[in-house]
Amino acid sequence: MIESVDRLLELALAHGAKAAEVYAEQSVTRRVKVFRGAVEELTSARRKGAGLRVFQDGSVGYAYASDLSDESLGEVVEMALANARVADHDPDSVLPAPRDKPAAVDVYDAGLEQASDGQRIELALAVEAAALAADPRVKSVDEAVYADGDAQVFIANSGGVRGSFREGHCYAYAYVLGEQDGQIETGLSFTVGRKPADLDPQRCGIEAATRAVELLGATKTQTTKTTVVLDPFVAASFFGVLSSALTAEAVQKGRSLFAGRLGEQVAGSGVTLTDDGIHPDGLASAPFDGEGVPCRRTPLIAEGVLQGFLYNVRSGHRDGRESTGNGARGSYQTMPGVGPTNLVLSGPQVPLDKLIGAIEHGVLVTNAIGIHSGANPVSGEFSVGISGLLIEGGRVGQPVHEVTMAGDIVSMLRSIVALGDDARWVPSGSILTPSVAIEGVSIGGA
Amino acid sequence: MQLDDLTTDLLDATIRRALRHGGDFAEVFVEDRRSLGLSLEDRRVERAAGGREAGFGVRLTSGERTYYSYSDDISEADLGSAADTVSAALRDGAGAARVVNLGALHAPPATAAIAVAPASVATDVKAALLRSADEAARSAGDAVSQVMAGYLEARQRVLIANSLGELVRDDRTRLRFTVSVVARRDGVIQTGYESLGKSLGFEILDEAVVQSMARGAAAKAVTMLDARPAPTGPMPVVMGNGFGGTLFHEACGHGLEADGIAKGSSIYQDKMGDVVASDIVNAYDDGTIAGEWGSAAVDDEGAPTHNTVVIEGGRLRGFLYDGLRAREKGVAQTGNGRRQSFRFVPIPRMTTTCIAPGTASADEIIAATERGFYAKTLAGGQVEPASGNFVFGVAEGYLIEHGRITSPLRGATLVGNGIDVLRSIDMIGDDFEVKSGICGKDGQSVPVGTGQATLRIAAMTVGGTG
Repeated sequence: MIESVDRLLELALAHGAKAAEVYAEQSVTRRVKVFRGAVEELTSARRKGAGLRVFQDGSVGYAYASDLSDESLGEVVEMALANARVADHDPDSVLPAPRDKPAAVDVYDAGLEQASDGQRIELALAVEAAALAADPRVKSVDEAVYADGDAQVFIANSGGVRGSFREGHCYAYAYVLGEQDGQIETGLSFTVGRKPADLDPQRCGIEAATRAVELLGATKTQTTKTTVVLDPFVAASFFGVLSSALTAEAVQKGRSLFAGRLGEQVAGSGVTLTDDGIHPDGLASAPFDGEGVPCRRTPLIAEGVLQGFLYNVRSGHRDGRESTGNGARGSYQTMPGVGPTNLVLSGPQVPLDKLIGAIEHGVLVTNAIGIHSGANPVSGEFSVGISGLLIEGGRVGQPVHEVTMAGDIVSMLRSIVALGDDARWVPSGSILTPSVAIEGVSIGGA
Repeated sequence: MQLDDLTTDLLDATIRRALRHGGDFAEVFVEDRRSLGLSLEDRRVERAAGGREAGFGVRLTSGERTYYSYSDDISEADLGSAADTVSAALRDGAGAARVVNLGALHAPPATAAIAVAPASVATDVKAALLRSADEAARSAGDAVSQVMAGYLEARQRVLIANSLGELVRDDRTRLRFTVSVVARRDGVIQTGYESLGKSLGFEILDEAVVQSMARGAAAKAVTMLDARPAPTGPMPVVMGNGFGGTLFHEACGHGLEADGIAKGSSIYQDKMGDVVASDIVNAYDDGTIAGEWGSAAVDDEGAPTHNTVVIEGGRLRGFLYDGLRAREKGVAQTGNGRRQSFRFVPIPRMTTTCIAPGTASADEIIAATERGFYAKTLAGGQVEPASGNFVFGVAEGYLIEHGRITSPLRGATLVGNGIDVLRSIDMIGDDFEVKSGICGKDGQSVPVGTGQATLRIAAMTVGGTG
């Protein structure tokens, strides 16, 4: 692979690229899905490809291919140069300067490649079995999945950056259907790690089952303003949406609700939010980002005060700053954008039972749907569908569903009054967050 | 090796090799996709990126089990090793090799002819359209603070061979143009969006088309600056045409996909023939509509696309099948076996899902509503097929008072349950329109369309902040 990377870079420079960068990846992924004690789907795959970015006097062109033959690489060079000719001049599109060494973070565990298909199937079966055994009201486990990925990433540019690393991860999840009196509710849980031995299929299956059956008997609730407690799953999806407004690109382009608010109190004083690209337990950690810039830790919100934004090379150049190592890359098919690595929400935490015990009326939100369509990171408005458990007199009780929760993100952040002591990693984005209590949120129902 | 270099003998041999330890069905899916995307923001064409992705997947099914292996290297060696990988899963089984002979190649024409192949048009002509959209959007006034415009073309060629002896080729061209506008005034920020997507060529785009989209998106963003917070609680809801079809897509369509039915995770599983909607509702999924974004001659298993009636006079009449679930059930495939790319197994998916139009005009429906919420444009949504609970965001909403559209409303979501909402549809208009979108399921995104006229739901929960 590294030969193809060097070859593509040489070809680009030989054909007139003034500066160029090659990003390539090669991976093996596996996925096992089981249903009622048997394998439903077993997938195994090899994937490779390379993308070329050329810089022609401030205009950038990009092209990629999965075929790394000389003929195909020749087409990639031609297409990237042609694309640079139609792109408008952009003084901020530059290569990163070669700098310090990649971050010293280990994102691969040899235990991953030692796993057999048999072990992978056992893990998925164990998740399903644990969920089915957890409660008689579990109707079925709609999805019980184990998956892993073992990838090598390469980067080289004409400014002298050249590096590679190997990354491995695995996860399992269960999506459980609970049923009672004809009513069906769903529950999701997952377990993640660097190797199969890191996973806890028992806990995953039981938790998914619990999350489904605790909602059985759910009713609608009255329209009101109340205190809500977002559990870590739900809190993570909110902070995930928020993170796109914390990129410098969104600020520079006038589509961030945080623009012009540096140094202001944007969240409750107990809220600290950090982008941590080198967290030892974070699955989004890496030695360097999609532009070869070392990953690092970047404070975003400290004790409620907005501290900074996420930068890639281009948005950094525009503000006269360095990249924060947030040059995000979806795959070799996309140019680097700006995005978070691991987001870590921290601050003073109180035991979850005390946090809930102090709430007279409220809702413990365990499921939110429509966050991607219902939360607008530009305007800051959000309105989503939720289900969860009512809190009355400091105790969790009656389940509710078909409830809406709406507000604006900044008001919500400012109204965060407490964090629980139950912080955990939530994938789909890689976010470490506890439960979050927020006052004065509008909920709608019957 | 390229897609065109694959011989019938090699495909045949691969299928036999996949089946050599047994199995009910084997398939080779080969794909070659070229695409070009251009995007504009900050008045500049910033991203111009294109590429080619080619690869194949070998699928083997045995009973309800599916084994799949894919690679992005189309070569005899990789085809062989993928076939070995899937057949190894049945190593200990009692299966026996089967003889397969592929029939003649079937290469049906696209649902509509491509007049101007996008790849034949110079890239700077495409870039010029983005700049033209930017200017048109900014002419809507000083409140417009940012314009994002995107152009995407893709040509996807697929070759599908399976152990039923079917050998099918399809050549799909898709084109999409989007405009997103941010408006800002006195600290309030709002967005407006327009998109056009078709399985057609460059003939659908010109300056007038993109400028009209840009002005539309800008007008939405600027109008919404004056919006009041939406009310909260149950009320009559009038859904706009076109994008309003997301209602049916989320509230019902996903629950009709045969994988959920087979696993018992859809509320519609035991309801065939039952009343699931008000008697004025007729609905269908149609992958054959000429040139639509969600259309194709065949699905991603090579089965011809189809117009499938799912609800007739309010009664449930049909489900949406891929090959695996159709064979399990012993029913005909409906051409709904779709996949994002060769990296995924096909699963039952919607194409263009429509509620048939009625006879009332949109104005009559509004006039007949004393007080309610007019959801003119939806922003997308999500459903839990098992419970039928769904939610969608409203991009452009208005208050209806005394039979007239009054103030714009912002920040609303609609929540409900599929069957409850379909039963509450009490008026359907005559202004049927199809809009394009992208639907995600099981980590796979596919192009889909929603077709609907303006319609009214007697009561539905609106979630706002007012």
